[in-house]
Amino acid sequence: MPMIALAGNPNTGKTTIFNRLTGARQHTGNWPGKTVEKKEGTWWHGETRFRIIDLPGTYSLSAFSAEEVIARDFIVEARPDVVIVVVDATNLERNLYLVLQILEMTPAVIVALNMMDVARDQGLQIDIDGLSQRLGVPVVPLTARTGEGLPQLMATAAQVASGPPTTRFLPPIRYSRPIEQAIARLEEAIRAHPQLAQGYPARWLALQLLQDDTFCQEKIAHLPGGVALCQQAREARISLEARYRTDIDALIAEERYAWIHRLVQEVIRGRPQGPTLSDRVDAVAMHPVGGLILFLAIMWVVFKLSTDVAAPFVAWIDLFVNRFLAHWVLEGLALVHLESSWFASLITDGILAGVGGVLVFVPVLMFLYMGMAIMEDSGYMARAAFVMDGYMRHLGLQGKSFVPLVLGFGCNVPAIYATRTLDSRTDRLLTGLLVPFMSCSARLPVYVLIASIFFPHFRTPAVLVMYLLGVLVALTVGFLLRKTLFKRSETSALLIEVPAYRLPTIKNVWMEMTLRTRAFLEGAATIIMAVSIVIWLFLAIPVNGQSAFADTPVEHSAFAAVAGVMSPLFKPLGFGNWQNASALITGFIAKEVVVSTLAQVYHVPQESPGPEEDLGFWAEARLAAISFFRATADTLKAIPGIVGIDLLDEEEPGAPPALGEAIRQGFEQTSGGRGALAGFSFMVFVLLYTPCMATVAAMRQELGGRWTLLSVGSQLTIAWLAAFLVFQAGKIFLS
Amino acid sequence: MLHAILHELQTASGPLTLRQLSRKLGVQESALEGMIQFWVRKGRLVVDDGAGGLSEMRVCHSIACGLRACPGPGACPLTLKPPIRFHLSS
Repeated sequence: MPMIALAGNPNTGKTTIFNRLTGARQHTGNWPGKTVEKKEGTWWHGETRFRIIDLPGTYSLSAFSAEEVIARDFIVEARPDVVIVVVDATNLERNLYLVLQILEMTPAVIVALNMMDVARDQGLQIDIDGLSQRLGVPVVPLTARTGEGLPQLMATAAQVASGPPTTRFLPPIRYSRPIEQAIARLEEAIRAHPQLAQGYPARWLALQLLQDDTFCQEKIAHLPGGVALCQQAREARISLEARYRTDIDALIAEERYAWIHRLVQEVIRGRPQGPTLSDRVDAVAMHPVGGLILFLAIMWVVFKLSTDVAAPFVAWIDLFVNRFLAHWVLEGLALVHLESSWFASLITDGILAGVGGVLVFVPVLMFLYMGMAIMEDSGYMARAAFVMDGYMRHLGLQGKSFVPLVLGFGCNVPAIYATRTLDSRTDRLLTGLLVPFMSCSARLPVYVLIASIFFPHFRTPAVLVMYLLGVLVALTVGFLLRKTLFKRSETSALLIEVPAYRLPTIKNVWMEMTLRTRAFLEGAATIIMAVSIVIWLFLAIPVNGQSAFADTPVEHSAFAAVAGVMSPLFKPLGFGNWQNASALITGFIAKEVVVSTLAQVYHVPQESPGPEEDLGFWAEARLAAISFFRATADTLKAIPGIVGIDLLDEEEPGAPPALGEAIRQGFEQTSGGRGALAGFSFMVFVLLYTPCMATVAAMRQELGGRWTLLSVGSQLTIAWLAAFLVFQAGKIFLS
Repeated sequence: MLHAILHELQTASGPLTLRQLSRKLGVQESALEGMIQFWVRKGRLVVDDGAGGLSEMRVCHSIACGLRACPGPGACPLTLKPPIRFHLSS
């Protein structure tokens, strides 16, 4: 049965052709000894039945991957009657490399020029006859998707298959004279041994041996004359490489690409010349100045979404958790007479206050994650990386460090691990030391909480300033370290693959957003809850001996006593009380815990509704549902606020009102009436001090104990100094 | 043409995109990708998707990642996806 093999680059429509030809007459399995799928079927042409083999999609036949070895061995050893090489007409220059390699193996080739409809839409005109003439084989234009041109392709295939076999053929490409001479000598040696000559096409085998194809050598070494041939090829290779001062396979590939390039110039007309829409957008997005302005503008929108637009949902969750849930949990406990027990305190003052305090900010994070997903899905993130890489280089930092630093905006832990991709230990150390200054998403709820309390009308700028300050500190520290401890003279250039712009799909954005939010919630359900319970325990233990367990004022608790020891350290920074100190101490475990701790230590128990206000469970549930829809409507109304159009009836608080007021009073007291300044100083400290224990563990693993200690010490010092500077300078400036 | 890629990277003063380089060399972007893959195979260019370190991580460690195992790149959901980059091997 005549055999036709389908070869081609991935995504060229090879399988579409296979399916159209074989229909249901196909079966799949694996290639012997490989996990690569083998598809085989039959096709009738008149009375003749053809066996069709769908070879794995490959870009070349260099025996680098299992797919390449399968395709190469099949063409050389099974010797199909026809090899149809499916080529993407819109990417001819890349696809012709495989065509050229196959033409060096067999002359029974047909080029199926697929995706002609797309090529026509792009205005490409391909000289089919010219291409066929230069390649020396039939070229059939087609559109596999619609079946247009397929009958012509298969008629040609049947014709080639039934024609006389060609024993000697001349591939279209001729290499430089020294290479051709070496090939000719090897060909002569191959033909001197019948087993070698009958087993493989002589010119192809000579080329493979010259390129040091080890797979090929293993196959022929046991044949008569094989060892001597390999030795001859080795000598020829050494001689050529000495002459050209480069690897012979690079030289051969270079000549192939050059030949293909010339051919494409000849046969393709009407290639788009002017800048595309994408080019025009990139002229701004990737401009050193324009790109930076655009990046800041996009970040502004993301933070506007995370603060102002998310605020109605923040208020709704606060209402739901602290009013509805807390009230009905207590009501439930009252049914079993536990409403005044330590267990009720654990549930309301521990878990609901702690975990609930963080859950309130889930909408904030959801909008942040949505912004990140849109930036990634649209292809913009790569452009931002390109712009930032340039800036880092100007500051003498390794451009490659940018990626770990960008990862740090999401979570510092994977960012620390990503420093492994850097070449030198110096770069890994330096980047690892800078990553903790990048503001991870866990710090965002702290900024939103504090900014909502002290800067309700400037929440977005306050948050943006924090992120920019983190970058600025990282770049400054990096610059100083590069000039002192980590001196290096050069930075290597980068080639960045910038994807095409595309409209983000709702499905992708939703998936990314929910995946990240779920991960955050899992964190809330584990560490935050554990820390909240431990804090509750310490808050419940009295130290003055006058109150009972779980019934002691928080200021007389063990937790207050322990945190109070640290509070004098924060006095010069404007927030030196035991409550703030405790939040920063627990924040060393994880930044999410800062908010939950503040919610617990500043906890203002919700007053139970009076009998006249108690509407009953279902009525309150209905009110909660209605307020959810109102929050949704307010969120939609808040969107135009991004461009300054205010449709909201009133300012959304963005932070639980009772908690916000308690925190505001606390900061006012510790700062001598400069609560806003102390709040800003607190945000700066949270931004710059050690992100979390997990980051410290990752740093220890990647940088070593000594550097981790140095890093943690310097983070604490920098955070303290920066917050001190903000508060003390602010005091002078504002007085 | 193939060696011109290495030359351009050696002499570039800043980062280059594939499109910029393809225009500079006058080759189709997809063909340039093939040429780059050749150098990656030869070990002259190093491909970096920003997640190289993550592939070896057993555990994310991070509470943000929910204390879950991270068996492969991108498994930690909070990780941003950086662009694929190529650089000359040292």
